[in-house]
Amino acid sequence: MSVLSPEVKALLKDPDVFKVLATVDDKGHPHVVFKNHKIDLLDDGTIVYAEVIESSHTNSNLIHSLWFDKHVAITVKGRDGTSYQIKGKVERYDFVSNLFREYYRKLRARKGPDSELSGLWYIRPESVKDETPSVRRAEEDTKHPFFRHLDRELVAA
Amino acid sequence: MGQAGNDLSVKELIVKYPDYPRITIIKLDTAYRGVQVTAAAVAQAEQDGAIFRAPEAKEDDKGEGELVFGGAQFRDGSIVRGLEDSISVKKYHLQRIGNPYTLDIVDGKAWLLDGEKKVEPVFFTPVPQFYGKTTSRGIPMNKVVRGSSNVLGINVYNYCYFWKHKLACQYCGSVQNFTTKNETHTEASLQDIYETVNEALKEQGRWTSFAFIVGSDPQGERPYDREVEEIIKVSRTLQRVFGKRPFPLRLISSAVPQDQLLRYRDAGVTAIEPHLEVWDKQLFNIICPGKAKFFGWDYWVNNAIAGVEVFGRGNVCSQFVCGAELSQPHGFKDEEAALRSNFEGAAFFARHGVTTSANILRLAQGSLFYAQKQKHPSLEYVIRLTKGLHDIRRQYHLGVDCNDFKRCGIHPDTDLARLFNHEVEV
Repeated sequence: MSVLSPEVKALLKDPDVFKVLATVDDKGHPHVVFKNHKIDLLDDGTIVYAEVIESSHTNSNLIHSLWFDKHVAITVKGRDGTSYQIKGKVERYDFVSNLFREYYRKLRARKGPDSELSGLWYIRPESVKDETPSVRRAEEDTKHPFFRHLDRELVAA
Repeated sequence: MGQAGNDLSVKELIVKYPDYPRITIIKLDTAYRGVQVTAAAVAQAEQDGAIFRAPEAKEDDKGEGELVFGGAQFRDGSIVRGLEDSISVKKYHLQRIGNPYTLDIVDGKAWLLDGEKKVEPVFFTPVPQFYGKTTSRGIPMNKVVRGSSNVLGINVYNYCYFWKHKLACQYCGSVQNFTTKNETHTEASLQDIYETVNEALKEQGRWTSFAFIVGSDPQGERPYDREVEEIIKVSRTLQRVFGKRPFPLRLISSAVPQDQLLRYRDAGVTAIEPHLEVWDKQLFNIICPGKAKFFGWDYWVNNAIAGVEVFGRGNVCSQFVCGAELSQPHGFKDEEAALRSNFEGAAFFARHGVTTSANILRLAQGSLFYAQKQKHPSLEYVIRLTKGLHDIRRQYHLGVDCNDFKRCGIHPDTDLARLFNHEVEV
């Protein structure tokens, strides 16, 4: 069963919301980039990331994650400020399948015939965290009341 | 397997070398052990478009190239090796080690199995869409151009003078491929190439480059003149396809002087691979007698370096046959010394902008090594060597785009280049 709620799925499928992909290289250096149009969701719950630059830092990091079983993180943020962070494992790199060709054709249709698509990365989501600020603050207040500043209590009163 | 006879298992190697990809270790192991494909997997491959049967192919026709298997990829997109004699049988036999892996269908998906145990899922590679079509004079296009996962390959010159004159490289088993024909290209054969490439390019999103495979022929007024002329004929044919637009084309051919390299460049060539094969000069003279005679270790090394001025850093690649240096009785008896020799060669080349690739030694019937009952290197030796070559390449920020996992796929060290493509300097 997918860990993704219908709301998260809808955000992942929406090409116009902010989507950020965070990876780590083999030296432990983080690399975080916006990938709005390039992240999509397949019907079986797999997240697909379409890489257009073969020599990108992200591409290097994703093969590192696949080879050495490391997690990647994707943050999506809707127009109303709703935000989720998804953590997952990189399952496969694909540059020959029918699905790859379909994405290649779609990209060219959208961006023009000189568009490039290096490959598709398939990411299996393992966990989702609601990172919407109001949700996180309420959660923090409940779980860690000692972490609140006292003057906020006066405001609340 | 291996020279020492006390080799570690794949499982032990995966634990011992945690910074070496597990999939790449398995890929190395499949190259040596081979992979048998079950009937269910063949049926699935056929359904996935990974098998091509020429119209005239018979059901049991396995030897004449009429049945082509597109192969399979691991999850990382690298090719599954060891499938050479699984479905479409080549004309040569590779010596296998231990029990072969099995490629079967489990719960509707293709898996590489070791005995009953699932090792890795695999994915079939579709054969090119131009297979099955013919040129205007009726030549099957699959016999004109070969499409692998990402590359259009053309056998430009099916003749190796070294084989013909008993000067073949001792590990080489391609005797049938390079002694049966001594034909030069004609207008008609070049037109076949022109038409086939045009047809291939209709398959959008499939091909990223060309590779020319050329037999060595040192004959001519200048060294390797005849070979050069054939290469230029075919590369000019590709220029007809692309007009003035550049296209990536690498040559796997002989070392030639710089004035010839400039002619290559003008004809559209963008990368060259004059393979030295063995770094140690004395071993080179023994293992590669043809290259030693025409025209020696210094000639091959110097012309590779000269190529960097023409094609740029990382666009000249010299191959080492990983394990040939351990052949006996002349080769290294100590693996540490063998590794040092290879690393010395790779570092020397890297300082000059020449990148290297390791082609792991596999004993092919027809080769002198096979007849001499030489041994394969151990998997651990291959891991250490290829990791070392990768580390040197990275240290020098040197790329190997022309010969990486997509553009070739048989070199474990160039598979690793994916980890630092973003650091490469040109």
